[in-house]
Amino acid sequence: MNICKKIEDINRANDPLVEIESTDLMRLPDISDISIQEPPLKRLTEEQKQQYECSLDGFIAIGLPRPKTKQEEEEFVRKFLNGLEKLFSKENNWTFLQPLIHSLEYCVKCQLCSDSCPVYVASGRKEIYRPTFRPELLRRIINKYIKKQWALIAKLTRSDIDLNFTVIARLAELAYRCTLCRRCAQVCPIGVDNALISREIRKLFSQELGVAPREIHELGTVQQLKLGSTTGITPPALEDIIRFIEEDIKEKTGKEIKIPVNKKGADILLLHNAGEFISWPENIEAFAILFNAANISWTLSSELGGYDAVNYGVWYDDIQMARVAVRHSQVAKELNVKKINVGECGHAHKAFIVIADRVLTGDLNIPRESAFPFLENLVLSGKINLDPNRNNFPVTLHDPCNIVRLMGIVEPQRRILRKICQQFIEMEPHGVDNYCCGGGSGFAIMGSRNFPDWRVHLSGRMKLKQILEAFKNVQNPEIKKYVCAPCSNCKGQIRDIINTYGLQGKYGIRYGGLVELIVNAMIDIEKPFIEWE
Amino acid sequence: MRFLLAITTYFGYLFIILMYSIKLIRYLRLPLHLRSEVYPIIPGDQTSKERSYYEYPNWWTRPRRHNLLQRVWFLFSDYFILREYFRRDKTYWFFLYPWHIGFITIITFHIFCFFGALASLLGIPVTYGSTSIFGNVIYSLTLVTGALSFISGLFGSIGILIKRLTDKDLRNYATPQNYFTYFLLLAVFLSGLYSWYFDPMFSIYRSFWRGLITFKPIDVEPVTASHILLFAFLLIYLPFTRSLHYITRLFGFLLIRWDDKPNLRGSMLEKKVEEMLNLKTNWNGPHIKPDFTWKELASEAVAQEKDR
Repeated sequence: MNICKKIEDINRANDPLVEIESTDLMRLPDISDISIQEPPLKRLTEEQKQQYECSLDGFIAIGLPRPKTKQEEEEFVRKFLNGLEKLFSKENNWTFLQPLIHSLEYCVKCQLCSDSCPVYVASGRKEIYRPTFRPELLRRIINKYIKKQWALIAKLTRSDIDLNFTVIARLAELAYRCTLCRRCAQVCPIGVDNALISREIRKLFSQELGVAPREIHELGTVQQLKLGSTTGITPPALEDIIRFIEEDIKEKTGKEIKIPVNKKGADILLLHNAGEFISWPENIEAFAILFNAANISWTLSSELGGYDAVNYGVWYDDIQMARVAVRHSQVAKELNVKKINVGECGHAHKAFIVIADRVLTGDLNIPRESAFPFLENLVLSGKINLDPNRNNFPVTLHDPCNIVRLMGIVEPQRRILRKICQQFIEMEPHGVDNYCCGGGSGFAIMGSRNFPDWRVHLSGRMKLKQILEAFKNVQNPEIKKYVCAPCSNCKGQIRDIINTYGLQGKYGIRYGGLVELIVNAMIDIEKPFIEWE
Repeated sequence: MRFLLAITTYFGYLFIILMYSIKLIRYLRLPLHLRSEVYPIIPGDQTSKERSYYEYPNWWTRPRRHNLLQRVWFLFSDYFILREYFRRDKTYWFFLYPWHIGFITIITFHIFCFFGALASLLGIPVTYGSTSIFGNVIYSLTLVTGALSFISGLFGSIGILIKRLTDKDLRNYATPQNYFTYFLLLAVFLSGLYSWYFDPMFSIYRSFWRGLITFKPIDVEPVTASHILLFAFLLIYLPFTRSLHYITRLFGFLLIRWDDKPNLRGSMLEKKVEEMLNLKTNWNGPHIKPDFTWKELASEAVAQEKDR
């Protein structure tokens, strides 16, 4: 069922507007005798359907409760319109006013961007996921309710959307069907950025109505500012984890490494995504082993917020983004470090190094750089003895959008892989033209109700296709293959793709970071660092 | 009739210049924004010289390579190539390209008409085989741009209209205003082509322009008059469309998509950022205290005072 074929169909009462069926989705490549099994999509329970607005596509990212009275609904619409107006004021939205106006005013709807969107293509080209759908819907609402166009002009511009709770809630959900990968922006000949409009919609909902997915706001930025991390790790818990990591390093490598914590005056403050401490401690270990081997003056922080590089604000809320960035910088300032190095976390790169660049001033403006060029320098300088024969298995590289397309860091990680891996295979397309893993813009951590199914089956589908194609000539499951995903959120998403489709068992595909591969190639470590099981 | 033609033409030019200027000034006066660049800075191959400075360790210690001329050239040359359209949708490009060329050349045609009229008023003969090189060049350019504009524009107008109507992806997003614009441009190019038939050397146009420059309007053939009127109406209508994208596109790239200017300590940019951070906001989200400045809201104390 695909009721929504035009913008104005958003007003239709059908529930849902679009039904997602596995059979509609983009076909996966036939590259093996073992066909890829398509697991069924999880449907909402009747109770969930009753409780939350889910009439967009039958999936829930936010979970807006339905208003109980007409007054509640009117109040909701009023607040939405208030927020919409604020998006166009300098005081409230200097942060993205010019990009927003450019994108709203000058898109000619040529649809050149449509095929660049992995969600739209993977969904079987469902209209609601088209990159121009959301912006055009917003444009028509603005024409009617903010610009208050005359009736004739409104007819000429088809600004015929009637606002009510359902339409607004659908728009809110729709803003969370875009991974903000900005592939659409990259191809636009006029410089329009439709992904930015998705984020502006998210921002309006958060900053005016207090509406955002729980994992991103309450359990995300709010928890990070209060407890220190979105993972819930507190400073004392972190100290315990670090002791565990030191013991693990000793067990794996025989090396006794003391991880420096809160070392004042160190050259580098290394900021990890705290998810690594819980889910992928080997990434933290690998950084420690490398930095120790290269005799680098560095430190971690156990101060509130100083051990979690994430900044979920970058996905939905400028004020939360600024708060988290300021917190990170304050930690570095107190430690008096020379610079901050951001580990393998894509959105933390973009948030702290690029976006917060125009938030941090004075002594909070501490130099910040990516770990990639730093690691490249270590690897290519010959300071560490590396043997590429130790990485003699097929390796493909996933390019995190935030680091590659949105920061232009393309080559350092490739030069590392070419130096330390015997069988490096590029995905197609790659570099700045890469596809998002499907977990971008918060999706990888949004795990409630049936949203993870949408994320793996739809937004992650293009990445699944790319991974399968990259390894098409080495299908034998006995041959171990490695998807190098140097970003925590991407790793989480790729883990879920691998598990959902059984890629490890069927094809011998596993995933991990970049720094683990470097340590795996170190000559003075006897046992392989990467554990395949 | 001649007064109507003259007045609408004067008004058309004044109106479009005024409206475009107001719109552009407003656009350029929009406040400093956070960075949101997309790479590669110069589209094309990844070996572009202008690589991201983030690819270097201690990037802030290196001189930033910033080739404004290269960027502007890339953008300017694209007016005559439409690279992305050619790369991604050749059918669309096949019609869009002549349409755009028609649009660009009709503007240049009028500019050459103006200079041709001016030259003849100054005593420079603007004819084929003129003794003046300038007169010869203006004469030829008027002829080429006029002919190219009408033929190319008409072909493009018909093609783009058919494409919009037959391609459901385009049709679903088209508005009545879009179709009105297509038909108007089609009428402009068609009337231009028809009037060219009666005035193959565009000498009537030059006479008309001489009349405008000397404030002594003249009468022209009804066919030419209809084109002049339609073109003047187009000038008045354009500011109400998205046509300014011809110009804002340049700024969209230079000031937004390719804006990678870092905020270094003590820089002018830092001062501007400070200015923005001192603006007061009045967002009403439960985690935001209204009437605080951005700087205050980002500070630890206010962040913790009011959270959800």
